[in-house]
Amino acid sequence: MHRPGSEAVRARGVVKRYGGVVALAGVDLEIGTGEVFGIIGPNGAGKSTLFDVLCGITKPTEGEVFLFDRPVNDVPPHEIARQGVARSFQRTAVFGEATVRENLLFGRHAASSHSVLGRILHSAAWRRDRDAFEAKAREVLELTGLTEDQHRPANVLAYGVQRRLAVGIALMNDPRLLFLDEPAAGMNGKESADFVELVRAIEPGRTIVIVEHDMTVISALCRRTLVMVDGRPVTVGPPGEVFRHPEVIEAYLGADDE
Amino acid sequence: MSSTRAFRINGAHLIVAWLLVIAAFGTLVSNPFVVTLAGYTSAFALFALSINVMLGGLGEVPLGQCVFFGLGAYAAAIGMKSFGLPFELALLIAMAVSVAAAAVIGALTLKLTGAYFSIVSWGLTGVVLVAAMNLEHVTGGPLGIFGFPTITFAGVDLSEPRGYFLVCAVLLVATVVVLAAVRDSRFGAAIESVRQNPHLARSMGVDVFRQRLKAFMLSAPIAAMAGALCIPYTQIVTPEVFAVSNTVDALLMVLLGGSRLLVGPVIGAMIFSIIPYFFNMDPNVRILIFSSAIILIMIFAPGGLHQLMSAVADRFTGGRRAPSGI
Repeated sequence: MHRPGSEAVRARGVVKRYGGVVALAGVDLEIGTGEVFGIIGPNGAGKSTLFDVLCGITKPTEGEVFLFDRPVNDVPPHEIARQGVARSFQRTAVFGEATVRENLLFGRHAASSHSVLGRILHSAAWRRDRDAFEAKAREVLELTGLTEDQHRPANVLAYGVQRRLAVGIALMNDPRLLFLDEPAAGMNGKESADFVELVRAIEPGRTIVIVEHDMTVISALCRRTLVMVDGRPVTVGPPGEVFRHPEVIEAYLGADDE
Repeated sequence: MSSTRAFRINGAHLIVAWLLVIAAFGTLVSNPFVVTLAGYTSAFALFALSINVMLGGLGEVPLGQCVFFGLGAYAAAIGMKSFGLPFELALLIAMAVSVAAAAVIGALTLKLTGAYFSIVSWGLTGVVLVAAMNLEHVTGGPLGIFGFPTITFAGVDLSEPRGYFLVCAVLLVATVVVLAAVRDSRFGAAIESVRQNPHLARSMGVDVFRQRLKAFMLSAPIAAMAGALCIPYTQIVTPEVFAVSNTVDALLMVLLGGSRLLVGPVIGAMIFSIIPYFFNMDPNVRILIFSSAIILIMIFAPGGLHQLMSAVADRFTGGRRAPSGI
């Protein structure tokens, strides 16, 4: 639950401009540790940009982002990942040519430490990494329901299964902060429902930030959600309340008209 | 597909088998030309392996890889000729020089990817070639460096065909073993993840540039070793070692054998050497045949001949194959 003063994510006056285009026009945001937080908005509202800025992939033009009270503006993405922050991508979410198991192995990079020499000599570090990987992979395969598929290449898996694998890869480093970029996009009703169950299963002990179009998923998972319109935050609150916000209704109806 | 299995090497029996084949070949084949050619093929296979660290490993086409091949040849030649160093030490220095060069070149060029990296690395070969032509007091200029004393490696005379073959072949196997360990390590998993999806790899904590640089710095000494091991065969090092045609030959070997298989470049190198020899091919015919072969392979079996052989094997075994080892 959200405890004041223990923010996992804090954004202060975040502005992002691409040339003359203002993608984010000043965003202030706090996401509490342990919270499952949604970001919604019509297409072009800047939610993906905000998402990329929050997880450190894109650097803001102005303003500052803190993850667990540490400024990350000048920290490269791979260093942020090593601080226990993982993200899944909407597109190219998995390593397509690799098997499910290899995907999980690639996701384990930050948590392993052995050298090539250690690999040749079967060093203590290599044995530790091997055993930790096996244990973690077993846990994640069970959690994501991918045990049967573990030796299949990722690119032959059904779309919904690939999305679960994407979360599985992110879980391999045991992140305390997980960003999910439209995880339910393109899923059918059954797949979305399964996905909600998966997120609920991995929720304890983690902060999860979800950008999503599917309001059922947002309602089922998030206690609070932020609505973005035209690069600025409109309202933050429980999903049921924000959906009734006049500006949100107008933005969505306007978007529908396009 | 040669998969990244960080926690398994199942190729110990294959290594023993390889060494037995090398010993049998070295003992039973008496034609000195064939044995020498096998030695030179092993040396050039090392260069193909070096190229495949970049092509199969990182997905880059390193047209300038001949820079390291040439640096290896020149550094070893200069070490032996100007400083009187034994070949083993000259070889080690050549490899160290190439690693240092790769660190500098890589730091400058590896931010580029795809065609841009290839073109810049190609451009470098021109720079180095001209430098080798003009730095006459170091490189001997266009005439190159020649007139080496008898070259030995660990007491084995490399001017003798059998000795040359055994040394080159054993170093080739040793390199394959190291590359297998690399592939099955955390580093190997990291570069494979970078090749497949750099954005996702980065978000998993992989320092993409650093891993690319490390792979480049791994590929360079292998190319340098290949260049140095060609000296006992050619007995001369000229600026032509920096010619892109060397890279292209090795690239053809990689594509023939298959870039996704660790030993694909070695298979390719064998085909590249054996077929012209047995069919007594004119060099022009050789280029025609191999160029056509590459076009056909790229269309019908982009994974190289290894993919074709696997497909045939699958036909007979119904797809029940153990995962490929080294």
